[in-house]
Amino acid sequence: MSKPNFETFLAESINNTESEITPQKDLWPGIEKALTHAPQAQGKAALWPKLAGVAACSVAALLTVQLLFSGSEPATSVVMSDYFTQQKQTLLVQYQNQPALTDNWQQQLTELEDAERAIKQALDNEPENPALLKMLAQVYQQQLDLINKVHAPKWQQI
Amino acid sequence: MLIDAKHAFTQLSEDALITRVKSGDQNAYAALYELHVKRVYGLCLRLLADREHAEDATQEVFVQLWHKIASFEGQSQFSTWLHSVTSNIAISYLRKHKNWLQKVVSFEQSGMGEQSATDCQGLNGLDKLVLRLPERARMVFVLHAIEGYRHEEIATMLGMAVGSSKSQFHRARQLLKEWYENE
Repeated sequence: MSKPNFETFLAESINNTESEITPQKDLWPGIEKALTHAPQAQGKAALWPKLAGVAACSVAALLTVQLLFSGSEPATSVVMSDYFTQQKQTLLVQYQNQPALTDNWQQQLTELEDAERAIKQALDNEPENPALLKMLAQVYQQQLDLINKVHAPKWQQI
Repeated sequence: MLIDAKHAFTQLSEDALITRVKSGDQNAYAALYELHVKRVYGLCLRLLADREHAEDATQEVFVQLWHKIASFEGQSQFSTWLHSVTSNIAISYLRKHKNWLQKVVSFEQSGMGEQSATDCQGLNGLDKLVLRLPERARMVFVLHAIEGYRHEEIATMLGMAVGSSKSQFHRARQLLKEWYENE
């Protein structure tokens, strides 16, 4: 028996194509695990942690700009440190029951905190050095970004 | 009459499931998953031409769907909406993985290898050929010929010109014809 011509084969195949194909492995456990670790967003309430994180980062950026353009008072680094420490603690409390995407984020945070300490030591000698103040603000910003990033899965950001 | 009643029951059941899922019911979501996983996986496999990637993308679809389902307002069939979500996620998945995938195999030169394609269970003759198509030709062919999207829609989804979508479709048909006739 000769095989049908291509056009017939194509038309019949498309008409008869089963849209369903069974995966070779059970995919539900992986999905269930992801859902368990990330509760469904329900209205505006679930947005608050993210909004708070974004707000903290925005204020941090504004503070950095203000520092760079308005000049620095001797106590500026202290004010900045107090502010960022408060923001960081707020984020850590918000995310404390939410699993992180990576295991080593706290190690990354520790490295940033080491950098923060080193810059603060340098600021003790030059409290008005704008480059150091900028670096300090950047390190604080990186800490907030890290905390937000590891607690906000990519598929929530889409 | 019986078919209509059964259809109505199925619709009601799915609608009820969706309502419960929207309120955060994971058991209802598991049931909804069971209803649709084979169709979602089928589409992902045809678009991605790789079993493992299709499995990953299918999981990503259902994880994202859990968060997106609140935006489903019932203005279209749920399955139609789900297919649209699936197509977009599969395309996005391919873009994300393309860079390192290209280091392993040139996706534009060839799709899934013939041997790998035949390893895929549940595929008909056309599907096995489709999975051998080059990436862009394959995606256009699947979206247009099998899923019924217009070239204008495909162009938007894949970020290409409408003319490119049409030429990729023509290319896909030519390759499929050549392979079919030489089999």
